[in-house]
Amino acid sequence: MLHLKPNNLLIQKTFSEALEANANGAPLSLDRIISDFDYTTFHVSNSPDDKSVLWLSIKTKAWQSVTQCDQGKNGLLPFLASKYQSAKGISIPQSFENGYDYTLQADLKTIDQDTINQLSLLKIFVMNYPFQLAFNEFVELSNMPVLEEPTGSSTSSSKNLYTIEYRDEENIFIRPSNDRITVIFETVFQDETDKVLGKVFLQEFVDARKRNRDIQSAPQVLFSHEPPLELQSHLRKAANNTDLSRRFITFVLFPRHFQTPELQFSTVCQLTLFRNYFHYHIKCSKAYMHSRMRYRVGSFIKVLNRAKVDEDESETAGAEGTKEPVQRRTFTGRKMVY
Amino acid sequence: MSYINNPAVVMDNGTGLTKLGFAGNDSPSWIFPTAIATSQGGSSSNAKKSMSSSAASSATAGNPYYGNSTSATSFNDNNLSSMLLSNNLAGKRGTEDLDFYIGNEALVASQGPSYSLSYPIRHGQVENWDHMERFWENSIFKYLRTEPEDHFFLLTEPPLNPPENREQIAEIFFESFNCAGLYIAVQAVLALAASWTSSKVTDRSLTGTVIDSGDGVTHVIPVAEGYVIGSAIKNIPIAGRDITLFIQSLLRERGEADTSLRTAERIKQEYCYVCPDIVKEFNKFDRDGEKFAQFVVENQESTRKKIVDVGYERFLAPEIFFNPEIASSDFLTPLPTVVDQTIQACPIDVRKGLYNNIVLSGGSTMFKDFGRRLQRDLKGIVNNRIAQSEMLSGTKSTGVNVQVISHRKQRNAVWFGGSLLAQTAEFKGYCHTKKDYDEYGPEIVRNFSLFNMV
Repeated sequence: MLHLKPNNLLIQKTFSEALEANANGAPLSLDRIISDFDYTTFHVSNSPDDKSVLWLSIKTKAWQSVTQCDQGKNGLLPFLASKYQSAKGISIPQSFENGYDYTLQADLKTIDQDTINQLSLLKIFVMNYPFQLAFNEFVELSNMPVLEEPTGSSTSSSKNLYTIEYRDEENIFIRPSNDRITVIFETVFQDETDKVLGKVFLQEFVDARKRNRDIQSAPQVLFSHEPPLELQSHLRKAANNTDLSRRFITFVLFPRHFQTPELQFSTVCQLTLFRNYFHYHIKCSKAYMHSRMRYRVGSFIKVLNRAKVDEDESETAGAEGTKEPVQRRTFTGRKMVY
Repeated sequence: MSYINNPAVVMDNGTGLTKLGFAGNDSPSWIFPTAIATSQGGSSSNAKKSMSSSAASSATAGNPYYGNSTSATSFNDNNLSSMLLSNNLAGKRGTEDLDFYIGNEALVASQGPSYSLSYPIRHGQVENWDHMERFWENSIFKYLRTEPEDHFFLLTEPPLNPPENREQIAEIFFESFNCAGLYIAVQAVLALAASWTSSKVTDRSLTGTVIDSGDGVTHVIPVAEGYVIGSAIKNIPIAGRDITLFIQSLLRERGEADTSLRTAERIKQEYCYVCPDIVKEFNKFDRDGEKFAQFVVENQESTRKKIVDVGYERFLAPEIFFNPEIASSDFLTPLPTVVDQTIQACPIDVRKGLYNNIVLSGGSTMFKDFGRRLQRDLKGIVNNRIAQSEMLSGTKSTGVNVQVISHRKQRNAVWFGGSLLAQTAEFKGYCHTKKDYDEYGPEIVRNFSLFNMV
């Protein structure tokens, strides 16, 4: 598995099972917790009055910051509603489940596999909202006449900086301007080994584009210890960047990356899963190194066993005079096999 | 720290099946074979790519990984020869180490030529750590979708697992995955905890005898106050697979239309039960034709239906626990006798508690009336002995209460017990955290404090 999939497999499976059971006339009673990356928890349960209606509730760390992205316009709920408008059998209840941020209601009598797919993307849709705002603002900005500024630069970037606080100490910042959208990830490593491996990976993200001509159309990636210029005004206010292990990864999106809705969606999926993808691969490479180490240790033990001198074989044979074969043991104490 | 609210992950990796899920749920989220299909080195990379993509597309088309499986067998034997191919590390360059499938997808992928299937756990213990590490990696990131740094983990181990294996687990979970905290529990203890859901259990004690019967082997494990009495554990080489094979042999003798292992397994799961007396049951069958059943084999390729008659094997198959001589020639001790011997091998102070709380766990104890029959037979043995000692000593015994507990969560009792314990507020206090590990090293996992749940 090279890439992480945007959809949540467990939601898909749970709903498929429920759908099948309902079709067979024996609806399941469900009360399950399902998790996702970055402090996201789903809860699947039956609606209290009808067993063939399921509720899917989401609670995610990013929710609060995502709702605040549009300065009190409360656009997130209509945005999510629009995403599920075309899906069959989905309705949105008046009030959400207690302790959760958002609830969808799925009628097992009418939903189909497409709807289940849409349901499994709920977390991506929540994270999608600030990106959508940025895409909209980009269109506005690029249609505005460019003012000749005294400095000679022809870019005018937005006043808005969309922030997704998706983990405790790590945020995503999105800043649209009239010819690009800049997405900045903040990363902090808890573990020393991860820090080193992470640096190698991030440098590779930056260098790969320079080396390989085939991926010239990919977004430009920058990696820095200092907060990028887009952020400096923001972070000075926060004034908490004392942590030396803080790194910044910047993706520069050009219009070719978000021209069509399909492109926009795939861009958003890749970007929202970036941190998970990044950490997944750090873990995979550690696992790979562990397997190399085990292999190496195994081969060293073989060498050591070969070098071992047989213990006084003649002595025991002489003293006892029996023909009993001498048991040889390996370095680790196991019996030797020839 | 906001991982406080994240549910703990409970993983029960068995020889045959792996159960994965979150603490607080009533059943595992995923149940699939503990199998991993790794790509074979040696073939040219182009051919391999096309093969792997075709395997992947066929895997996604039928969604084979959606179902929770009840069988660890893949029902195709053509991959056994390739299992011997170990991982050839020297040839690895690139992303081959990510090219593998686990669980049901592995069974599908291994049917193609470019993947070889292997089972990293043998007899309950991890044999191949490379494969196990990757198996965990995929189960965490793909199936559970969790960031291990944010979650606590509860893992299980078989009784008498060497402490070195625990250290290996800790190294993998803390160093590869940086998990927030880890608890490794003994399967038998979790099975005892799962029995607390039964209405028969009044005190939540961790003393009892666990009969754990899975696919490969049946264990009888005495547990006193949460500690396994290792010297008294007994194994019976009769378990689910033997019952399936026995049914298959009966079907073959009769010359049924379909005698595949899969059919035999379905018959075992759907029709078998335990009877109180074989002779009477034979008579009942002969008098009453209603008892015979018919099993319709579903066949995807051809539309014609095969019908298999199900007869005496309905009660004969589970009977091999109680009269092993009808199926095997080398193991002849009935299960109730083994349980009695096990308890007699334990210290005398705990024996009453062990007789009083006999807990069933695992798929092969799911037969109807299995617990009742075991309780009756065991009571017979115990009462005989009491009568004998009363006769010899001339004093009156206070009697021993024998109680076998069956409950609804029996099939995944170990996982369910883990889920129960891991959802308590105290659970995180019992775990070793990443910080502890960094401070003291892997040997801290040699000791875990017990749950004292009162």
